[in-house]
Amino acid sequence: MAIAKAERLMNLALCLLGTRRPLSKRELRDSIEAYHDAFGPGNRASSASGDGPSGNDDSFNRMFERDKDDLRELGLVIETVENLDGEVGYLARRDNNRLPPITLDAEEAAALGLAAKVWQQARLAGAASGALHKLRAAGLPEDVDPYEAHGALEPRIPVHEAAFEPLMLACRDRRPVVFNYRKATAARPEPRTVEPWALECWRGHWYLAGFDRDRGAERVFRLSRITGRVRNRTGSFTAEVPDVVTVRETVASWAGENADRSALIRLRTGAGYPLRAKASSVRELGDGWDELEIPYGHGLDAWLVEFGPDVVVLEPAELRADVVDRLRAVAKG
Amino acid sequence: MAGKPARPANAIDQTRRMLSLVTYLRERPGARIEDVARAFGITEDELVSDLDVLPMCGTSFRGGDLLDIDTDGERIWWHNPAALGADAAEPLRLAADEATALLVAARAVATLPGLRESDRQALLRATAKVEAAAGEAAGASSRLSVTFESEGGVFADVDRAISERRRLWIRYYSPARDEVTEREIDPIRLVSVGHTYVEAWCRRSEARRTFRLDRVAEIRILDEPSAPPEIELRDLSEGLVQPAAEDPEVVVEVGPGGRWVAEYYPHDQAEELPDGGLRITLRTPDPASLRRLALRLGRDGRIVAPQDLADSARDAAREALLAYDGLPDGDEGLHGGHGGLRGGLQEAPSGAREERQGDPGGHSPSAVHHDLHTVQDGPYGGRREQRL
Repeated sequence: MAIAKAERLMNLALCLLGTRRPLSKRELRDSIEAYHDAFGPGNRASSASGDGPSGNDDSFNRMFERDKDDLRELGLVIETVENLDGEVGYLARRDNNRLPPITLDAEEAAALGLAAKVWQQARLAGAASGALHKLRAAGLPEDVDPYEAHGALEPRIPVHEAAFEPLMLACRDRRPVVFNYRKATAARPEPRTVEPWALECWRGHWYLAGFDRDRGAERVFRLSRITGRVRNRTGSFTAEVPDVVTVRETVASWAGENADRSALIRLRTGAGYPLRAKASSVRELGDGWDELEIPYGHGLDAWLVEFGPDVVVLEPAELRADVVDRLRAVAKG
Repeated sequence: MAGKPARPANAIDQTRRMLSLVTYLRERPGARIEDVARAFGITEDELVSDLDVLPMCGTSFRGGDLLDIDTDGERIWWHNPAALGADAAEPLRLAADEATALLVAARAVATLPGLRESDRQALLRATAKVEAAAGEAAGASSRLSVTFESEGGVFADVDRAISERRRLWIRYYSPARDEVTEREIDPIRLVSVGHTYVEAWCRRSEARRTFRLDRVAEIRILDEPSAPPEIELRDLSEGLVQPAAEDPEVVVEVGPGGRWVAEYYPHDQAEELPDGGLRITLRTPDPASLRRLALRLGRDGRIVAPQDLADSARDAAREALLAYDGLPDGDEGLHGGHGGLRGGLQEAPSGAREERQGDPGGHSPSAVHHDLHTVQDGPYGGRREQRL
């Protein structure tokens, strides 16, 4: 039976962490049973001799590279050193891999315990637990129930969008990507090449901000409108990344929350509580209707139409026109 | 409490856990399995599977340097802690993803309006310490951010009621019926998933209910003790609401401008239509509550079935139009090229971002999302409980 990957990675990590001098691939292949079993001994002359299974060497090399990448994902800093004979060796120096001293009290431990449970995305949930384990190994106080400390609070970060993980990695590594994006009103998606800057979750939905190479400008994308795979592009960013990337402000403006005008409406008494909650003034007219002044931002017409015959728009005329237009479309049935 | 989301066993996660476990066990000879599993937030079975792997690990299988770790089923013993050398079992620095995952989550929770000040301070202190310890690895964490929405005042009252085990009186707005009702609830927990909700036992309906904090019009902490029945709390990883199979079916056809419906409403099916629109089939216990959706869609979509829902939307629109016929300026404003105005609005600059056009727009994303379920007086009892 093949030796489990976790065992192989663990052995590679311990060898690299335990050595004081760089270990060659050959030495590692000889030392780690999983490699040895699968690919045979790391014969120094195997590449030169005709009977050496060079296919095996290729497979070993591929696996070794992947394993090294996996360990780097875990945070291991692995150095590559060439010795006098030109042979490449590897080691993970303790000085580069040691967690600096960190002392957390019980309250802080509870806070991090809560934070570590928040992600509902496999990769980040695993990473958050991993961080907590490392801190635990470094002496993070135990026996603290984060829910006890935080009044039965359960924050959750939902991630339903398939594009999240590849975009998160691309943001982290500053890699350009290409994906198909369907604009809200477009019948078909079209390819977009983007230098991804940052991801932000607002009201449970994820958005990407970045530099759109085709448009030559900053754009914000909603992840749920990305169709198909996110593919990496070679090369690096061409546009400068701003110091502060604001996603939420842009999205909030789509949602009409940067209203700089106001509208006057009549609302049936007792109806439309959320309109009342947003109103800057409410005047009772006494005939079963109230008059309200409310903020007028993007999308207000669609919202007002939801209240049907309980709302009448008085001003401004363009809002009235939009609402009547929408009502007529529905009235036609 | 709800468990952590179930995840498939992952070699990378297991490796990172075992590396920390080695450091942890070295300091604690004879550690109890139960305690170690709790400290690592894993099941005892998961821990035992790690303990099966560790004796196969070491710095060289030939040199006999394998870790001699074993367990009698209760305690864990490591017989050769020197096998890794003096400094080879120190805690490891945080990886970029690890720092990001922890820091982004902690920062997000710290911004929750209504959070107790002592909790916020603890989060901020912990965040600063982790940032310092993570060093460069913390850098990429600024590329992810999360905002939780909450009503601070309501949150603080609910939080206090839960910790003091007291009943709450609320006035609560139901968008589906456009009405505010009074009820007494025994709060159980606060759940933030984008918006913040309180899960509670509703004394009026004698059932479990979920209330969105920004729809609480008024709240008071009562003197009566809270006494929710013992109910099992559910995993939230699949979302707050999910319609039940026996709910009536509603079919909506939308054009390209109404595709957002599929993003905001849980549905069974969304068929592509030739014009770039969708035919969406969904279920709801109270189809009448979708009248709002039909009105909002305007020319971007229509209710195909049931017929009486389509009729009620049409009738409501006709009734609403009557008011405009009777008012001064009624039609003049309309003829005056409102198409131009609309066009002007839609092209509005504001950064000229992608999705402005056709987005559900103001207020709706929030208003729409849970209309189907949260609002009903029935959905959270019994059958829907598997999903909260």
